[in-house]
Amino acid sequence: MLDSIKFKLEVVVPEVEIPKEKWTGRVREVKIGGKGRKEVVVGGATAMPFLDFEGEIPNPPRVAVEVRDDPSGFPPGLLSSWGDDVVNDVGSWAKKAAELGAEIITLRLTSAHPEGQNTGVEEAKSAVDKVLSAVDLPLMVIGPEIADKDNEILVPIADLAEGQRIVLGNCVENNYKTIAAACIAANHIAIAKTPLDINLAKQLNVQVSDIGVPLESILMDADMGALGYGIEYAISIDERLKLAALMGDSVTAVPIINHPGPETWRQKEAKVSEGVPESWGGYDERALYWEELSATSIIHSGADVVTLCHPKAVEYIKSMIAKLMGQ
Amino acid sequence: MSRFIAASTARGARQVIDKADNMLKGALDSLGPDAPVEFKDRSGGPTAYYLPVIYGYLGHKVEKVGDLQYPLDRAKSLLAPEPDENMWLPYLGETLDAGVGTLWAEEIIKGIEFAQGKQPEAKGDFQFNGPIDDGQLRSWGIAMVDGSMPGFAVVIGEAPSNQAAVRIVRELQARGQLVFLSGNVNGRSVVDQLLEEGVDLGYPTYTVSFGSDTESTVYATGYATRAAFSFGNVTPGDWRRVLLYNKFRCFAFALVLGPMDDVKWATGAGAIDYGFPAIANTMVPHILPTGVTRYEDVISEPWDDIPGDTNEKAKRLIDKCIEVRGIKVTIPQPELPVTYGPAFEGEVIRRRDMQVEFGSKSGPGVELLEMKDTDAVEDGKCEVVGPDIDEIDFGNNPNTYFACKIDVAGRAMRDEFEPVLERQLHNLSNEVEGYQHQGQREITWIRVSKKAYEAGLRLKHMGDVFHTTFHNQFGSIVDKIQTTFYTNQEDVEKIMEYARDKYRERDERIGGLKDESVDTFYSCTLCQSFAPTHVCVINPERPGLCGAYTWLDCRAAYEINPRGPNQPVEKGKCLDEAKGEFEGVNQFVYDNSQRTVERMTLYSLMDAPMTTCGCCECNMVLIPEANGIMIVSREDFGETPCGMKFTTLMGQIGGGQQSPGMMGHGKRFVLSEKFISAEGGLRRVVWMSKPLKEELKDDLQQRCEAIGEPDLMDKIADGDICTTVEDLVPFLEEKGHPALSMESMI
Repeated sequence: MLDSIKFKLEVVVPEVEIPKEKWTGRVREVKIGGKGRKEVVVGGATAMPFLDFEGEIPNPPRVAVEVRDDPSGFPPGLLSSWGDDVVNDVGSWAKKAAELGAEIITLRLTSAHPEGQNTGVEEAKSAVDKVLSAVDLPLMVIGPEIADKDNEILVPIADLAEGQRIVLGNCVENNYKTIAAACIAANHIAIAKTPLDINLAKQLNVQVSDIGVPLESILMDADMGALGYGIEYAISIDERLKLAALMGDSVTAVPIINHPGPETWRQKEAKVSEGVPESWGGYDERALYWEELSATSIIHSGADVVTLCHPKAVEYIKSMIAKLMGQ
Repeated sequence: MSRFIAASTARGARQVIDKADNMLKGALDSLGPDAPVEFKDRSGGPTAYYLPVIYGYLGHKVEKVGDLQYPLDRAKSLLAPEPDENMWLPYLGETLDAGVGTLWAEEIIKGIEFAQGKQPEAKGDFQFNGPIDDGQLRSWGIAMVDGSMPGFAVVIGEAPSNQAAVRIVRELQARGQLVFLSGNVNGRSVVDQLLEEGVDLGYPTYTVSFGSDTESTVYATGYATRAAFSFGNVTPGDWRRVLLYNKFRCFAFALVLGPMDDVKWATGAGAIDYGFPAIANTMVPHILPTGVTRYEDVISEPWDDIPGDTNEKAKRLIDKCIEVRGIKVTIPQPELPVTYGPAFEGEVIRRRDMQVEFGSKSGPGVELLEMKDTDAVEDGKCEVVGPDIDEIDFGNNPNTYFACKIDVAGRAMRDEFEPVLERQLHNLSNEVEGYQHQGQREITWIRVSKKAYEAGLRLKHMGDVFHTTFHNQFGSIVDKIQTTFYTNQEDVEKIMEYARDKYRERDERIGGLKDESVDTFYSCTLCQSFAPTHVCVINPERPGLCGAYTWLDCRAAYEINPRGPNQPVEKGKCLDEAKGEFEGVNQFVYDNSQRTVERMTLYSLMDAPMTTCGCCECNMVLIPEANGIMIVSREDFGETPCGMKFTTLMGQIGGGQQSPGMMGHGKRFVLSEKFISAEGGLRRVVWMSKPLKEELKDDLQQRCEAIGEPDLMDKIADGDICTTVEDLVPFLEEKGHPALSMESMI
């Protein structure tokens, strides 16, 4: 019966118009590096991450790799992925990171921490010098995040790298003036870091630029926790900062930097291989996934630069960015 | 300003420019136009930016003698004739221009001396420093930008004695000022005096000798100009920004010791262009108008008229300089015998743990902060009149008397800020470990723990705490602060009486402030961290919805932190007087609510009411059946006639939403004449949380009488009477509530 009835099936595809946001703002472009050093441009977007049908995304999110002059705070699982000979010398570490595709080197001066080795200006300068001479990538230098110590060591470093547009951090609410002044004097870029609060983030941008750092020389770090450690707050803050920028707010229209790598590697999931539930899976994979997922999430919320730690995470995140950028 | 100064400046400028002219002619002959001109310090340290003052003003690079002709010609063009004896035309502008010409000519003179190898100057064995080299400028510049070194003092001339010279320099150093030295009086200068007293001069001691003549003072303005290039992103030739940068960022001034002369006046006029005032220790005319400099341009502080010995005179003289230039000095935290920090804010001291109690059941306790003239306040002073904690035997005689009297002075201080600052005493005191502060005004209640007492805490330490914290947190309005504690009956009773009058005055002042009498409201966006589209607009007749911020508080907060969450909102054109809709408010709210809220009225519940964040004290909700509104306050956990408890309501309207018919507000807004005046005000209230009704009882009764409804309170239901609309309406009908017969709200 059915066979005798002939159907002519016609599928009507309705015209679907993809709703598009119209933005008026543009994130500033910040040029890192120069004066003989490779130059990397971050920011510049007129649309939310990867939504290039709503605007322009001239620069992909950039991948920085963190090296430390005192690596002891990193778990052995991470250090062994680089090799012991590498992590005991910031120069070699930076060089290997460059070979693996790092676009920026993040040098964290952990040895200067007063509760650690408490090293001084000379050690800090020497670490910076080693990285600068080992690679031609742009450099980001972050102090031990203890106000007095940061001020003490970052000012001479600013002098040392004058004109090379390195990124210096962190300017925080109660300690931004000295680092900002050092950035002005030597033409560097300041990181303005605030603890997960959009108002404070904006306010600090105003304060840092008020003192004389041009908004073209500021990256903002609205802080983040790794996956499972408050990443949802960071996602929401980054996203709102970016939305505010795209809606035309000039002060928040500076690129966002986040550090998903180091945030991940200080959490239990990336540190502990024994005595955890079996459902957590094997340590190596778990720790790496943790970093990759943290980084992926924060990139999708608006991060323009991410600092990573594990060589494989660098590879994975770079390939993800390339695919999403249609490269 | 003074005609005397104008005339002197005109003569001085002419004298310096003539000298430069003659020297340039000579140099062109003897050295030729191609002889190099370059500023260096005494050890050959290079300076950047050519002749910096000329480069800053004109964008003109001087690299050789021939390049000096152009700035000299420009300097000549700035010369105006001396003011006429009889016909006094405005001369401030001409005087300032003459100052500019003087600085250029001075730089030309120094440039030629460098070309001739005569700079930096040598005098006997002593080698003056000359201009400051580039490396030093950078490292001092960072200290200047981050505020650890506010600016510099140029000390010109000769101090009244060697000892005075040393004390003056020490006082300046103690305040973090760089000290630059130049000029002389009959051949002797501060540099000679300091050297005779064995004081080390040089970069390491932050004292730099420029030269023995007045002309070398130009290195100071050169330094300032280079700072503007290096730290202010100013481009050469953009003279306006060079000057503004220095006015607002570089806290420099000139201190002229000994008699003035024409060249000193002319150089001083040049410094004033940079916003640097001059303070003279001799009798000279003042220039009081402000604007070019932040406060006065020229102040005379005759040495002989300053009270005290040399040390005291030097301190007071420098105090005056610091005040005239508006310099804020950061004061390090004092050594306290106990810990200090926010961790102790909520600390409760139980009766059995306390050493002494003031106020509450133990006797009267009062605190009062008042504004005084600057001369009436001795900064940092703390006095205890009567027994201190260790002299009170509380165990045997638990009757105490307590008054805390704080006097503050400040250029930007206003009497309206008194209550705002006074209220800070609560937090500031509580952060001291073992010191508990409750209440305020005449119901101040204080307990000091045994532990803190044993550690050594006394009342006098609290004066140190107030001194440092007020300076560091409220430095923008407070210049000086002194504290006096009274613990004897007679004084405390006297102060109590005096304070009550003050409180009354204050209450009347804010009570008398109307929305119509101001043209600026204030915003509060403190809550945007969790309600991103919420903007509080706070007007004199409506406090913030959290109840914590009044219009005066916001105004003070804005003065204290101009970049903070309380910003001025220009009212702009009034679009609807009844509803309280203003063009300026709409624009501000739109711009600051992520472009979400397009309109916001201030006096209406039904048309574009204010958004609600999460911390409102009360919610008002339309009850259509009663043609009125109910108000539920946060302390009320019960059911309400709208069918929702407070927390459920918050879930409905909080988070920055605008919901006509529902709105969060502060408790005391109910007492305002502007309380939903568009809908009829207080007459619309048909139900109110019992605790709120009790709390505002007396004030509410007064308001009811004022609007001609003396028995309205009895007609307003509360949680004890009913919690449903079904019960509410009959109650209102029985009482004859006015809302029932008013125009429909919907």
